[in-house]
Amino acid sequence: MDRRRFIQALGTGTGIVAFSQAHKDEAKAFAEGQSAINPSDLTWGKAPCRYCGTGCGVEAGVKDGKVMAVRGDTASPVNKGLLCVKGYHLPAMLYGKDRLTHPMKRGADGKSWEKISWDDALDLIASKYQEALKESGPESVAIYGSGQWTIFDGYAALKWFKGGMRSNNIEPNARLCMASAVMGFVTQFQSDEPMGCYEDFEEGDDFIMWGNNMAEMHPVLFSRILESKRKKPNVRIIDLATRRTATTDYADMYVEFRPGSDLAIANGILHLLIESGKLDNAFIKENIVFKRGIEDLEEIGFGCYGDQAEHYTFQDKTRDSSIDEFKKLVSEYTPAHVSKISGVPEAQLRSLAEMYGDQSRGTISLWCMGVNQHTRGTWMNNLITNLHLVTGKISRPGSNPFSLTGQPSACGTVREVGTLANRLPADMVVTKKEHRDIAEKIWGVPEGTIPAKPGYHATDMFRAFMRGDVKVMWVQTTNPWVTMPNLHRIDRKPGDGRFLIVSDIYPTPTTEAADLVLPAAAWIEREGAFGNSERRTQHFDKLVEPPGEAKEDAWQIIEVAKRMGMGHLFPWPEDAWHKPMFEEYRSFGLGHGKDLASYDQLRKTRGMVWPVVDGKETLYRYAAGYDPYVKKSKGVHFYKAKGYGEKAAVWFRPYHPPAEEPDADYPFWLCTGRVLEHWHTGSLTRRVKQLHQAVPKAYVELNRADATKLSVKSGDRVKLVSRRGSMEMDVKVDGRGKPPVGSVFVPFFDEHYLINELTLDAMCNISKQPDYKKCAVRVERV
Amino acid sequence: MIAPAGVRALAVVSLLAISALAGCGRGDDAKKDGARGDARTVAKTSARERAERRGYDGAPPVIPHQNFGVECMSCHNDRGMQVEGVGFAPPMPHAVTAGLSDIARCRQCHVFRETDEIFVASDFRGLAQDLRRGRRLNDMTPPVIPHPVFMRENCYACHAGPAAREEIRCSHPERARCQQCHVEENATDLFTP
Ligand code: SF4
Repeated sequence: MDRRRFIQALGTGTGIVAFSQAHKDEAKAFAEGQSAINPSDLTWGKAPCRYCGTGCGVEAGVKDGKVMAVRGDTASPVNKGLLCVKGYHLPAMLYGKDRLTHPMKRGADGKSWEKISWDDALDLIASKYQEALKESGPESVAIYGSGQWTIFDGYAALKWFKGGMRSNNIEPNARLCMASAVMGFVTQFQSDEPMGCYEDFEEGDDFIMWGNNMAEMHPVLFSRILESKRKKPNVRIIDLATRRTATTDYADMYVEFRPGSDLAIANGILHLLIESGKLDNAFIKENIVFKRGIEDLEEIGFGCYGDQAEHYTFQDKTRDSSIDEFKKLVSEYTPAHVSKISGVPEAQLRSLAEMYGDQSRGTISLWCMGVNQHTRGTWMNNLITNLHLVTGKISRPGSNPFSLTGQPSACGTVREVGTLANRLPADMVVTKKEHRDIAEKIWGVPEGTIPAKPGYHATDMFRAFMRGDVKVMWVQTTNPWVTMPNLHRIDRKPGDGRFLIVSDIYPTPTTEAADLVLPAAAWIEREGAFGNSERRTQHFDKLVEPPGEAKEDAWQIIEVAKRMGMGHLFPWPEDAWHKPMFEEYRSFGLGHGKDLASYDQLRKTRGMVWPVVDGKETLYRYAAGYDPYVKKSKGVHFYKAKGYGEKAAVWFRPYHPPAEEPDADYPFWLCTGRVLEHWHTGSLTRRVKQLHQAVPKAYVELNRADATKLSVKSGDRVKLVSRRGSMEMDVKVDGRGKPPVGSVFVPFFDEHYLINELTLDAMCNISKQPDYKKCAVRVERV
Repeated sequence: MIAPAGVRALAVVSLLAISALAGCGRGDDAKKDGARGDARTVAKTSARERAERRGYDGAPPVIPHQNFGVECMSCHNDRGMQVEGVGFAPPMPHAVTAGLSDIARCRQCHVFRETDEIFVASDFRGLAQDLRRGRRLNDMTPPVIPHPVFMRENCYACHAGPAAREEIRCSHPERARCQQCHVEENATDLFTP
């Protein structure tokens, strides 16, 4: 602060108090003893948090090239200055002693590592890819990224693979995380992503959380709801879950259901809404069409048994339906029937139906992994949105189905750029000729470059790599050798004739499986942009240099592409490619309702919620008065759903049982998930002292009654056994989560306790997203 | 109570020395009384202990006592509370922060410490928590507030009452409206282009 501002800040008429000698001495001592760096000595820059899909704004304080502090950005509309414990401890995430700082290649013994230069590493990757392309074609190469890729990384990878390598084998870890939500929105609105925004948390009255431990997984958004509840005491939080969590502590009603029976519950609510005349018929007539798909259990399967065990290729078939047929089909889900399937008392089902049917109250449905990691995840997404569509409680401030994302750029990179085997930017798909044409034109590549057949989806990609059908695979910004379901299926030792490249910032079980490891730049060590759960795109500048020779993922990709003769895809100056790349990517969505803000505008703002038209963001999509694409004076217009006559689709989706249920040999349900303190596989957060010390290792949560029966208590060891693997670990009774009798929970952040060796690789039929929430295990005392 | 000036100045200097020696809690192997999550009692906090509980100046402190299984706010209320056999639970400084409230989830930011072990050593050097004097226009004017006020709106939480550390204890808490004379030093502007 300069002297003039300082004087201004104090004002002129400061009452002067006679200070005693003691005060003066003290002041002098402070001044002399002071060697500290003041917050004002740091250079502060804005960035979104590196972790969850909430996308909190932080200010990072930098001195001498290091991040020394962060603070919540009070100017960010997302978090208004608050952060969670992970966000507050962001700086330490960058400085673990074992940061990867130079490229490393497997030694001849297949175990040791040899330092190599970037040039050698990039040449090696280019030659491996070229060899595979030549010998086995574009289906034998793959790249596996993540929802933690920045928009730049994702766009570079997509353009290189689909526009250069002529391969659709590009997938993100978000296939394991958001694919069901994508398919939910796409099947109903023919356009991905929610209509609401975070203002819904102040506008809504009833917050119905479907299998969503929001207090731990989206803490800052949860505190927005709590603050709203304090101001408006009639706000209600409803927790539908299969185990008690931190969220339950704040819930007005806790609805515990049998795993997988949420399908029946949602149908049961639909039935009660119909029965009590709570449908908004005028809204339905104007805005809704009814659809059905394949409903046969055998035909769909689960993607992990029998014929489907290696290639899972189910395709849903759409047929038209009607409101009358819909009512008839749903009528099977009477309260008595649903209660029998789900274990939920009829009275609770009726309360839920009353909430959804009450037009005087705003209803927000919230969900994340409980609904998405589900063998019928797309269906479950459809069913929740159905509840909003049949009551007209959608695209209104305070009434919306709100799908939350787990990763900082699951929306911005994976869903919007389209880094999936079947997608292209701005809601386009490779299976449509007109979409491929548009992409090829923007990219300046010959017609027919992009293959029409989708590539391997994530689970299949790893199966193909193990079979040898994929020969070269590059993994960036994710840790699949911890997170893939049924991990034993991809046990890998280097030297099997295939080639695995891994870019990361720390050693992980995935770098252990690699043939070549590249050091990546993380977070604000490079320029980037993320897109959060509310369609907000947030840009960040590079604020510090990465350590050693670490480089940003997009740069790594561009350099390999150049070495393969595909440099024309990235024709921008080496020191200034971010802006032209972003503007090229942005051109995909302009005029199509997927308009992103300009690069220059994003640099200046705390993010912008798309569609951004004439520099103005859109808080509520499809809503008259908010969305510039809606020309009506009131109501909604689902203008993206051209194939449905610009209406939204309500789907009949029946109840199907899970792929594996407890039985006499394996009598417990196993559910897996995260904890507040750790991010995904913990490769970042475990290197932060405070976070590691708060939750140092994985454990199994057991119900007290089950613990008593097994004569174990907290801290004792038990062995968990599934049909796929087994593991010994510590018991936790009455910890932060309390599973019901016959059910256990294990967090997946701990690489020393690979719980995914036990999980089942069953999938959603439509989204190809695995179900990490339901399989059967046995618990043994050791 | 205000200690004689000489003693206070000495205390300040030695505190600075101690915190410099202890690396302000950055040493990963630091083992301190009362810092572990299984501690039953919490001694009156020194500047050094304060630093040990935080990753850097401004980070939320970890919880220095065991989980007593009660609502945090039942002891850390707006006046603070002497808890039999444990110590003085200081008041919560952000009960009136916009967006937070008395029903907020404390453990969203404050976590227990279950172990002293670390996963991997770290080179992280946080913004140091040395004592920082609020700048004054001249000897006669009240110092500006040398830290952000956001999340610390309740000045008394740290500057008054039994939990207030000597070196930052306010000599005139009865004057109630602190920000009438002490203004926040507006630390920086963002260098956003
Ligand atoms: S982890 Fe999520 S809630 Fe926590 S600070 Fe980061 S973005 Fe915000």
